[in-house]
Amino acid sequence: MKLAAVDYVILATYFAFVIGIGWMLRKKVSTSGDFLLSGRSVPVWITSLAFIAANLGAQELIGMAASGAKYGIMTAHFYWVGAIPAMLFMGIFMMPFYYGSKARSVPEFLKMRFDEKTRGYNAITFAVMTVFSSGISMYALGLLLHLVLNWDFNVCVLASAAIVLAYTYLGGLTSAIYNEVLQFFLIVAGFAPLAILACAKAGGWQGIVSRLPSNMTHSWHYMGSASQNPMGVELFGMVAGLGFVLSFGYWCTNFLVVQRAMAADSMSAARRTPLLGAIPKMFLPFIVILPGIAAVALAKMVGPDGAHLYDLPLKAGGTVKDYDQVLTTLMARFYPAGLLGVGLTGLMASFMSGMAGNVTAFNTVFTYDIYQSYIRKSAPDSHYLMVGRMTTIVGVALSIGAAYVARSYNNIMDLLQFVFGFVNAPLFATFLLGMFWKRSTANGAFSGMVSGTVAASLTWGLTVAEGKGGIFGTVYTFPSVMAQNFWIAIFAFSACFLVTVVVSLMTAPRPEKELEGLVYGLTKIRHDEGAKWWQRPAPLAICVSVLVILLNIWFA
Amino acid sequence: MLDLRVPSGWFFVILGAILVGMGLFAPDLRAPLTETNVNLYSGLPMLAFGGFLLIMAWRAVRK
Repeated sequence: MKLAAVDYVILATYFAFVIGIGWMLRKKVSTSGDFLLSGRSVPVWITSLAFIAANLGAQELIGMAASGAKYGIMTAHFYWVGAIPAMLFMGIFMMPFYYGSKARSVPEFLKMRFDEKTRGYNAITFAVMTVFSSGISMYALGLLLHLVLNWDFNVCVLASAAIVLAYTYLGGLTSAIYNEVLQFFLIVAGFAPLAILACAKAGGWQGIVSRLPSNMTHSWHYMGSASQNPMGVELFGMVAGLGFVLSFGYWCTNFLVVQRAMAADSMSAARRTPLLGAIPKMFLPFIVILPGIAAVALAKMVGPDGAHLYDLPLKAGGTVKDYDQVLTTLMARFYPAGLLGVGLTGLMASFMSGMAGNVTAFNTVFTYDIYQSYIRKSAPDSHYLMVGRMTTIVGVALSIGAAYVARSYNNIMDLLQFVFGFVNAPLFATFLLGMFWKRSTANGAFSGMVSGTVAASLTWGLTVAEGKGGIFGTVYTFPSVMAQNFWIAIFAFSACFLVTVVVSLMTAPRPEKELEGLVYGLTKIRHDEGAKWWQRPAPLAICVSVLVILLNIWFA
Repeated sequence: MLDLRVPSGWFFVILGAILVGMGLFAPDLRAPLTETNVNLYSGLPMLAFGGFLLIMAWRAVRK
């Protein structure tokens, strides 16, 4: 694939705008709260779009098109089952505690509800995890741009990191959030034409259905047994593992996304952030997954010259399919110079939104939950503002380091992602019990978190899927790694839940007075009586639920 | 506080103008699998979206 001058002009215009937005917002930053928390002043339409854009990194985009080509419409479960319900739950039930408690971060909420060690455990694992995930995403982007455009890996990694650093350093979280919205628009502008063109070429949805095996165009029909569907997952594992544990764990406790909602200008706006974000989120599969599905249909169609319209890309020198290249190779087939620039800029934008999300979450957690808690407790605010800014630079530098680690030791990164998966999987149980059961105690929560992590490691160590896991022996073999992941999450959650309950009952409860604002039943939740229905969380959540159920039925 | 609709609006107006310009001055530009003037047809909605954001921002200032 080769780019024309106009494509570079588009790319350069985009870079100028993101840095320009950071520049215009620089004067807004005068305290550490402005820099790290946006001073809780961002309008709700902006926080809603940033909420989903921070999650829409380059890895997700590349991965969703890849999974679309590999598994078909079932991939949409990652949105309709694996995101929307959790987003609704977060807005309706959890946001009142996050926003109302005045906690500055998710780990800080744990400190207020439980104790210092729960916060420390969560803050440190989260900080390390964000650095590595932005590094991995940077590596993925650098590799892809090197493969398709033959750009230099070092230049890609360093230049994109420098731009993210420039605008987050200048305007802090506000700048990251504002840019995420622009990036979201650009992702849609860059990818929607691809979905439309690829789908039209493949003869519309009907044309795709007629060319693909039927288990790739139905999302629920073949869920009865793992052997029938391409993902190798059965109904319970999917709904409980992905739909409940993993997705609630991610959307409800991951500070990366929660931070966006907490930047909103009022409690009502904070609660509506994930609800309003859910509306575009549920339609994203049509932009990010559909091109992948259409690619498979196109690969079966023959043009007038007798050649296939499209060939699924292969790994270098092999016969193994490289699904990660589906998105970019498809662009090369459909986008002429001009639109191609928009598409690649969209990919770049998705990378930046994901990375800035990680960096801004990292600097907040590091500054408030690690530095201010353990290194220097009482300094003037200007000191923490300075630390926040320095942490931004350090965070970007560490991400670059992580990208190079990923490049040289691919297996280490796989392992790290595994380990963090183990730490994260049980988290939702801790928050669920912490927010809705006033009897749960700090020691209960901490031992629950640790047992959940142990349970996750044991499940992985005792089961095998596609040749992975089973280092302690093989008790059970899963049909796919995905099924294994879902079940690891289920076991981790259950262990954490049970141990937290048992240990809490054995330890002394905290006085109810101390839990006001932190636990359901002891907190007054305002119900926005005077507000119009679409400005109130509950009716909004009902509308979103109806829409997502309709989508599920439509593509069942 | 910066109204995000202003920079986003300008960005899409410029992007749309570039694509529409390409569509008008190089109407025969095609990718291997496209048969229509894709730049023109995708540039027009971008131009309209950018214009919409700018009008919304302008109305907010006038109020």
